[in-house]
Amino acid sequence: MGTAIETRTLSEALPEAVLTVLDEFLTAELTTLGKGDRPVTWPIMPYFWAERGTFFTFTSIGFPQKALNIRRDPRASLLFSDPTGSGLGDPPIVLVQGTASAPEAIIASAKDAEPLVWEVMGRQARRWIRRQPSTARYLSNRLMRYLMDWYFMRMAIIIKPERIIWWSAGDCSTRPETIEVTHVDPDPTPSA
Amino acid sequence: MWTQIRRHLLEFDDAVLTALDEIQRPYSLRCQVKPDGEVLALVLPAYVPIEAGPASLLFHRHNEQMWNLKSFLLRGQLLKADMDWRFQPEQFVPGVGIGGLLADVRLLISSRRRATRYLQRRGLARPRVAWDEFQTLFDSTEDG
Repeated sequence: MGTAIETRTLSEALPEAVLTVLDEFLTAELTTLGKGDRPVTWPIMPYFWAERGTFFTFTSIGFPQKALNIRRDPRASLLFSDPTGSGLGDPPIVLVQGTASAPEAIIASAKDAEPLVWEVMGRQARRWIRRQPSTARYLSNRLMRYLMDWYFMRMAIIIKPERIIWWSAGDCSTRPETIEVTHVDPDPTPSA
Repeated sequence: MWTQIRRHLLEFDDAVLTALDEIQRPYSLRCQVKPDGEVLALVLPAYVPIEAGPASLLFHRHNEQMWNLKSFLLRGQLLKADMDWRFQPEQFVPGVGIGGLLADVRLLISSRRRATRYLQRRGLARPRVAWDEFQTLFDSTEDG
């Protein structure tokens, strides 16, 4: 088992290659637990807030199951295992185990979220739009707005890491390295 | 279920297996999967700290531009006999890109209904989406 570190020093404690994965991967596999400890894993778009050592993702109220699972059982994990689109060759695979929260706030406008959370949502969306510029054009289409408004009723999912595990060679057949994470929140993460 | 599994399994080199580890936290790793009768044989390393019990197998992919999404999830049980790991599927859950255009339309309609239900159960009015604010957010030149 690795060394225990504080969330505020996470960026200093993790190897550069691991941090690059957390910053550059377009998708990660988020696991929440359904009833009876049944894992449910789906790809999501992650955002690593390095300054706070915290992970964010957002989901629509049209896909609320992740948030509902987390509200019942906060155990969650994020696996960064698909480098497609990241521009990285043979990066590590990274597993983040932690405690998640899914605040009730529905974010449909800037006033629904703290400014930093709105900005995180913007950064995440811009990464997507850079790859799919046509998506932004749909936003101005009235029919699309009617059909897809539910998608823009967003909920934040916040994951505080407790253990970070990585396979340096990107190969899970080898034994990974691990660090335990201790949370220090002098400046608490916004609730949404 | 097995018809669906066999049809789509061949399109993927590996899958994300998730089960609980020795401290009862979800633990995921990539592994190879091969049909073996009515179960799936898994190739897992000896060190792996997961336990037999409830588990899932996620198959997913996208291209460099985040198009051509395809995913499905198998929910079931992870079985262990000596050093052999097996996965017993109990449910095939289609994700995006499974079932063609008709399935996409169904997904759109069901998502809209789920959103409406989510609001109704909480006694909430349908929020008004601030499209202009989203547009500004997306158009921003800030590093994202």
